[in-house]
Amino acid sequence: MKLSLNWLSDFIDLKGLDTNAIVDQMVKCGFEVEAIDKMSEGTNLVVGKVIECKDHPNSDHLHVTKTDIGSEVLDIVCGAPNCREGLKVIVAKVGAKLPGGEIKAGVIRGEASNGMLCSLKELGISDDLLPEDSPSHSGIEELDDRFEVGDTDILKKLGYDDTILDVSIYANRPDCLSMYAMAKEMGAILDREVRLPDFEGKADIGEESDFILKSESANCPHFLAKVVNHVTIKESPEWMKAHLRANGVKCINNLVDISNYVMLETGQPLHFYDLRSNPAKEITVRDDYEGVYTALDGIDYQIEKGDLMITSEGKPIGIAGIMGGDNTKILDDTTGLIIEAALFDHAQIRRTSNRLGLQTEAAARFAKGLEPMAQNKAVDRAVELLIELADASGFEKTVEYGKADYEPYQISETLSHLNALIGKEYTMDEAVSVMKRLGFECKVEGETFITTIPSHRASDLKIREDIDEEIVRLTDFDDLTSTLPLMPQTVGKLSNIQNIRRVIRDLLTKHGLYDTVNYTLVNEKYIEESLLPSGDAVAMISPLSDARKYIRTSLMNSLLEALSYNLDHYNSDLGLFEISKIYTSKGEEERLGIVMEGDLIQDKVKHLSLKTDFYVVKGLLRQILSTLGFEMGRVSIKENDLDTKHFHPYQSAVLMMDGKILGIFGKLHPAYLKTLKLNDVYYAELMLDVLAQATPSKVKAPVISKYPSVSRDISLMVKEEVKAADLLACIRKVGGHIVKKAEVFDVYQGEHIEKGYKSVSLSIVYEDNEKTLKTEDVNAIHGKIVEELKSRFEAIQR
Amino acid sequence: MLDLEALKNEALNAVANADSKTLEDLRIEYLSKKGKIQSLMAQMRDLPAEEKPKFGQMVNDLKNAVSAAMDAKKAELEEVLMNAKLLSEKVDITLDAYTPKQGTLHPLTLVQKEIEDVFIGMGYNVAEGPELESDLYNFTKANTPEGHPARDMQDTFYVDPTHLLRSQTTAIQMRVLEAQANDLPIKVICPGKVYRRDDDDATHSHQFTQCEGLVIGKNITVADLKGTLELMIREMFSKDAKIRFRPSYFPFTEPSFEVDMTCHICHGKGCPTCKGTGWIEILGSGMVHPNVLEMAGIDSKVYTGFAFGVGIERVAMLKYGITDIRDLYTNDVRFLDGFKR
Repeated sequence: MKLSLNWLSDFIDLKGLDTNAIVDQMVKCGFEVEAIDKMSEGTNLVVGKVIECKDHPNSDHLHVTKTDIGSEVLDIVCGAPNCREGLKVIVAKVGAKLPGGEIKAGVIRGEASNGMLCSLKELGISDDLLPEDSPSHSGIEELDDRFEVGDTDILKKLGYDDTILDVSIYANRPDCLSMYAMAKEMGAILDREVRLPDFEGKADIGEESDFILKSESANCPHFLAKVVNHVTIKESPEWMKAHLRANGVKCINNLVDISNYVMLETGQPLHFYDLRSNPAKEITVRDDYEGVYTALDGIDYQIEKGDLMITSEGKPIGIAGIMGGDNTKILDDTTGLIIEAALFDHAQIRRTSNRLGLQTEAAARFAKGLEPMAQNKAVDRAVELLIELADASGFEKTVEYGKADYEPYQISETLSHLNALIGKEYTMDEAVSVMKRLGFECKVEGETFITTIPSHRASDLKIREDIDEEIVRLTDFDDLTSTLPLMPQTVGKLSNIQNIRRVIRDLLTKHGLYDTVNYTLVNEKYIEESLLPSGDAVAMISPLSDARKYIRTSLMNSLLEALSYNLDHYNSDLGLFEISKIYTSKGEEERLGIVMEGDLIQDKVKHLSLKTDFYVVKGLLRQILSTLGFEMGRVSIKENDLDTKHFHPYQSAVLMMDGKILGIFGKLHPAYLKTLKLNDVYYAELMLDVLAQATPSKVKAPVISKYPSVSRDISLMVKEEVKAADLLACIRKVGGHIVKKAEVFDVYQGEHIEKGYKSVSLSIVYEDNEKTLKTEDVNAIHGKIVEELKSRFEAIQR
Repeated sequence: MLDLEALKNEALNAVANADSKTLEDLRIEYLSKKGKIQSLMAQMRDLPAEEKPKFGQMVNDLKNAVSAAMDAKKAELEEVLMNAKLLSEKVDITLDAYTPKQGTLHPLTLVQKEIEDVFIGMGYNVAEGPELESDLYNFTKANTPEGHPARDMQDTFYVDPTHLLRSQTTAIQMRVLEAQANDLPIKVICPGKVYRRDDDDATHSHQFTQCEGLVIGKNITVADLKGTLELMIREMFSKDAKIRFRPSYFPFTEPSFEVDMTCHICHGKGCPTCKGTGWIEILGSGMVHPNVLEMAGIDSKVYTGFAFGVGIERVAMLKYGITDIRDLYTNDVRFLDGFKR
């Protein structure tokens, strides 16, 4: 909402208040001021007359002038093409402060210049505020006879002395899109008297009318139409043009200007139809029209069922509430008109206006909602202005469809409830005085105060808390004390999954990996290349772009994109991870994605490096699980039979816990990586919901044996497909409880080993909690183990 | 007797000039069973009985003195050796030859964690909800009925006519209210991702993160809201921060307030960060609208409460001096490296 301070001062005496004081007070009372626009800026300006204008001897475009400013004649060099003798001009004297800087006395190419002849643009007036034929577009401003040499109130006389506040209006205050309501609000904010014009009933004039008005849509419950048989088209008066300009509205002629002006004043969009374009004297509002319609901007719009249309004789004559029609608009020779003031459903207007991409001042006001009595107020005011400014006559009686109804209602609030809610000690006087400042009737009964709500605030003020807000808003609130809620003690803690996230993030960052946050919305390619999606992808009805059309169904491609970005920007040896929700048609899941490439550990001085491989990723995953309290006995590794399109079929695995699929990890498939221009990338994606639902293993203190342990190693040659886990399981099974530890400490393939075979070295620690193991006991068990390994795995002891 | 004194001088002299090799030889030469000192005991046989103890004592003293000198010399030599060895092992303390890799928590994670910890300390729980929401929780129950501008297709990502990517974590609050309508009081914060149909630029992101808070109980006041937010701001930004309330509008609170904090850079004096005002807009808040309570099945005549919401990106940008919100979603490790803690 553009708030012109000049216009506001028509209703409120702003004496003694500078712009900043006004803005400060508005901000305190809940109106954000986005910008303070001074229409023009310039000090030391005076009207002058060019009494001599010669070409500059050393320039092909400059002029050397003698300009009379009344008190003296100044030598001024001017470059404007329209500079000529006899012209009345705006002179910025030496010392004048203009948006471009301060004017100084000087010499321009050898000629003295003591001031500047100005274009309005040089005074900071923007192009769109200038009339189309203004000389200032391409030269200096040419002043008319209203101006006398020596005058200094140039900007005021030109109507450019205004300051415009760009006020943002919250959704609960659509009334403030009307100048009158805004003036009332400002009166309350500034605590000053507001004088508004009284035009109630001005439209109650005219002959009987045979105009037919109907609505065939529930989305148009009220419509006023009034025929004005005679009007005279002319230019609007300067005061009206200034106010319209200040609001960014183009001035056309008095008729169009009045309709716009009344909308700005009352908030009710009005439309004037040329009387000649409606010979049937009939208007019907419909919402079943389909087809193309040309609005008065000359553009064709595709109208659909549901859009509200103004029709006559079954044909459209305007897009209701948004824009009139090209075929019915006011023309230069219009002599009679029909006033339309209607109420259209705000949601429908917004739908149509958004779909057509047609955002007009009228549509914005309808979309935000009108006050109940707006149509009647606007017609009253329009009639008054048409008579005053367009010599209107030949009025017919206002025709009405539906009825504007407003029965003022009351809201009761008690001082004790107010104070209990706010935590402050308001007095009855303070509460009541706020209501009075707002212009509300308010009566006190004991500790209750009862407020009558006027129509323009009906959409916002419904319950006692709304009244409380008005009081808070319009009284000083900075002195509110700070307290903490007095209530029963509660225990605050993280949930299981929240803890799991923290543990994982802490662990992975300690290993040098980076926590990342990626976008949820992705392109179709991400969906096609999804990793273990649990269902179909969910798409946006109206996406911002194809790149952000779907909700991702796995994290892999986001992390690969982040990895690629980093590799492209000279970052390497990377580990990135993300914990996030994903969605499919089957619902929500939470996953952990980890992507790694290059070295996990590295030190160049020491020539130390640990290159990420399958085992590095596996080790990290195992550590995550054990840190979360899951015993390794519950975890198993399976051949990857879930996704070998994205994973290397022989360097990837499925991770299982408690018999459920927990995730998949390993080296990504070189063919897939090639499509992404990547190499040797390792990836893991875990289903965190499986972890969140699993119960961590019980913590139990280990029993340390008092008796010594015995360590034995075995070296075996086995076929290369024999699995380490199977060898270890066999050792444990045969050895029983005295096998305290069994592990692989070397795997070798190559020289001295037959092709297709590998050498595996295992170490076994024997220990008994009850007694010292005798060598012969250990030998016996160890022998049995070796024999079993040999026979089961066709192993050859080396 | 003179023999003893001469022997002592001879031995001490030899020890004083010994090196680590000859010192062991000297020990054998003087202190072994057949060594020069022990050999003196042979002379004892020739002495009168009454002198024997005295002589014995003197030989013993001599032995102790030489032994002590040797021990001292040994220690001295070892120290020299040790010092030489240590010196030979001198490292360049300015060289870095092992930097354990350290990843970082994402700044959004960091801020969320910090907020969570402040409120958990005050007895709040951390509530979550689905990001793919029904319009019932995202809008209707938040007192934003059908037809409300905030429900526009223009602003919200719908996936079907009644489901959407939540546009505000208020949806979580509405779920908590409903779930805990008979289990009051409520003290929760609700962090999470939200989505709006904004084109991405330096200050807008179609995806961002909010953290809302909700307290429902008896006699909860605006003053309680102020105190709670003041505490949070002081923990998050600076101990001397002040806040001020500006009236505002949210459909689900009444009255509603924008909350400004004193600028954490200039402490309220005015600087470019706060555009010279000394204040920075940091969050939105208000008293839970009675309609919202009633829709959740809570008696608004008995219970009141406050709610607030803060943008995690906004906090991160202010706290860490981030000027482009897109930096938070690019995951450039050169950027992320700045958040080691």
